[in-house]
Amino acid sequence: MPKKYLKIVVFLIIAGGFLSAGIIHARTNEVVVYVSEDQVFSEPILKDFEKETGIKVKALYDTEEAKSTGVMNRLLAEKNNPQADVYWANEPIRAEYLKQEGISQAYISASAKAIPDGLKDPDNYWTGFSARARVFIVNQRAPEKPHSVADYTDPRFKGKAMIANPLFGTTTTQMAALFTLWGDEKGKTFMENMKKNGVKLSTSNGESADFVASGNFDFSLVDSDDVFNRIKQGKDVEIIYPDQGENEPGCFMVPNAVLFIKGSPNSENGKKLIDYLLSRETERKLAFADCAQIPLNPGVETPPEIKAIRTLKVMKVDYAEVAKKMREIQSFLKEWAR
Amino acid sequence: MAKRLTLLFFVVLFLIIGLVPIAAMFLKTIYVDGHFTLRLYRALFDSSREWGLVGNSVMLAFFVTAAALSAGIPLGVVLSKTDLPFKSIFTFLFTIPLLLPPYITAIAWSYWVKKEIWFFGLPGCVLILSISFLPIVMFLTMAYLKSVNPGIEEAGKLLSGWFGVLKNITIPAIMPGILLSAVLVFLLTLGEFSVPNFLRYKVFSNESFTQFSAFYDFNAATVSTMPLLLIAFVILLFEAIFLHRKTQESYGMTPDSDRFLVIELKSSKKWIVILLSLASFILIVLPFAALVREALNLGILREALEKAGDSLLRSISYAGIGASILTVIGFFLGYLIYKKALPGWRGVDMLTLFFLALPSAVTGIGLIGFWNRPATNFIYGTPAIIILGYVACYTVLTSRMTISGLSQISSSIEEAAEISGIKWWRRVFGVLVPLMKRGLLASWLIAYIFCLRDVGVTMAVYPPAHDTLPIRIFTLMANASGSLIAGLCLIMILSTLLPFSLFMLSVPKKGMA
Repeated sequence: MPKKYLKIVVFLIIAGGFLSAGIIHARTNEVVVYVSEDQVFSEPILKDFEKETGIKVKALYDTEEAKSTGVMNRLLAEKNNPQADVYWANEPIRAEYLKQEGISQAYISASAKAIPDGLKDPDNYWTGFSARARVFIVNQRAPEKPHSVADYTDPRFKGKAMIANPLFGTTTTQMAALFTLWGDEKGKTFMENMKKNGVKLSTSNGESADFVASGNFDFSLVDSDDVFNRIKQGKDVEIIYPDQGENEPGCFMVPNAVLFIKGSPNSENGKKLIDYLLSRETERKLAFADCAQIPLNPGVETPPEIKAIRTLKVMKVDYAEVAKKMREIQSFLKEWAR
Repeated sequence: MAKRLTLLFFVVLFLIIGLVPIAAMFLKTIYVDGHFTLRLYRALFDSSREWGLVGNSVMLAFFVTAAALSAGIPLGVVLSKTDLPFKSIFTFLFTIPLLLPPYITAIAWSYWVKKEIWFFGLPGCVLILSISFLPIVMFLTMAYLKSVNPGIEEAGKLLSGWFGVLKNITIPAIMPGILLSAVLVFLLTLGEFSVPNFLRYKVFSNESFTQFSAFYDFNAATVSTMPLLLIAFVILLFEAIFLHRKTQESYGMTPDSDRFLVIELKSSKKWIVILLSLASFILIVLPFAALVREALNLGILREALEKAGDSLLRSISYAGIGASILTVIGFFLGYLIYKKALPGWRGVDMLTLFFLALPSAVTGIGLIGFWNRPATNFIYGTPAIIILGYVACYTVLTSRMTISGLSQISSSIEEAAEISGIKWWRRVFGVLVPLMKRGLLASWLIAYIFCLRDVGVTMAVYPPAHDTLPIRIFTLMANASGSLIAGLCLIMILSTLLPFSLFMLSVPKKGMA
């Protein structure tokens, strides 16, 4: 065999060895978690779990650019050959969807006892923790400030408001929640009136927050962490929790949700990770992180700017209904967003 | 027999890696619940919005191709065929954007132009993608210029000056290379989603991505890629009918490596140096300097290194392994295509180019659907799935590099070895490979760069805990601070430029041609 030929063969053997090492390493004391919560916030929590338990965490993170749905597609595609043990969703609708598709299995975590009933699945297929609130980011120089989601259609705010594309993320979820609450007809009328009132579309909540902070628009519905983030950056913006009045529906909450994958390859470790994510300590860390999420367990220490969930009027919705509605209105939303 | 069996083996290997998963995926779109249906295709062709986006994609690809050709051809000529000083510095500078994922160039520019409105939209996309793909045109121009017969140029010079020779002899002679670069730039732009996404310009590749992301409907998403594939098919047809014939004709222009006519620039030398210095300063140096300034803080760099972590090592290893496998597969498929050694060689050639044009989300979902089974977990659950993704997407690069290398070797050498009774394997490894070693090294390097900068297919298929650095940056981009992202981009740039610079230094100047 010529020497050079030999070199190629040797290289391929090394490459093969490298890949085999990956295979041999594949099943040890580990847990595989798919994560839709932003990596910058979720990774430190998972690293702490690794340190405290000695269980190696193998994580697959979503990207904002994939509209945080890449791992959902993976979970659906892997239904008959699951690779993940746990899914950490950044909102409960995906958890509901996966429950309906038979991807998850029930698990009652001891850490979930104090989580309010409306924020976890009654059949224990998913459990909520550390929530974001859907709030208004408002420019401090705005002459008038909104107090209700319905203000999007108020002529006083014509051409002054923005909203993220309702085809994606928490804006879709909120629209579906409003349709569930109001019924389809009122929901559609509301969205058509938004258009008539000159509401502009952005590609994401982050972009909406930036446009409001720069004074291009007076307000936008965003996630609470988007506002805290801009306040930390010293921007002239404030947070308004919408619909807190007596006859108003309350603020829509978007908790994280954790679920246990059916056929999980490392089920015991998966359960340990779920218990850890639902713990008060994890909620405390997520409250003090830049994402500033609102703990669902009572009595968890938080920074002063975060309102405790018991002090907020929270919109009462059935997340299973919202998930169903979201599928029903998708073609309408797609038309609307053109 | 050995030749036919070996080539057949590599064809089958490529079909299993690339074609079978995608074909299985498309079959599912016409056989739904056991019944044949074209419902999804009808819905697509009835929709006006999708066709509007196709128009945007084609317009973007057209502008980028036109801009890359307008700048890349003169640049290639000046940097390879003239006595301009500092040629290697200019070549290096203009190559930098090709070495990086295009979105990193977009990030660098965004630090420079801040929130300029014009940048976010079609003009920004055209600018970034033209800068990113211009080196493809530049390098192919440089490579093909080496194949031009200096005797014909000399004869031309008797009748006209260099301008006339370039216009009437040299440029027409390298037209196959120029057209090939145009096809590559057009297809790469058509499939590109990260830059239009970052710069908020609606194109069709984002639409198919949205179908995968927002609606979880794999069949509809697969069908939604059809318009892009139709355009790619038209381009491939054009390539097969026109360009291939031209390419074959140009193979006859065997180069004389010892003689290469150089254009003396004389008084225009200093003006060209000033022009190229200005262009490289504005287009490359300033934006990347803005990115470096954003990242230049010890604390930020430490945090970036910590965040980059082992993903950097993984990027380098996977790209190295991917490039090695791609070089081997590309060599044999390139040999098959160049020598027309098996029936269906043209189909193989078109397929390799087709996979470059296929949206990476489709390739990714196809690979997941095919390999995600308990019996093949040793592939699906390991970095092997990433390598398969690289092979599916980038084989065309190494096969075309091989074709270019083979075209520069007189076929009489292999024929003489054959007449002497030397077996095929020995002819390949004892004659062709040593003669092509510089070309193969360049082929490996190109494959390495494309694997290292890959975002699309890696993002779709990487197993848990096996993310690469471009993926990590892409994932952290949403919420990490601008400085941290700049720091990570800087690490990415250095990790790409270092091996590339070492390669440039280690290969003799003559070899780079």
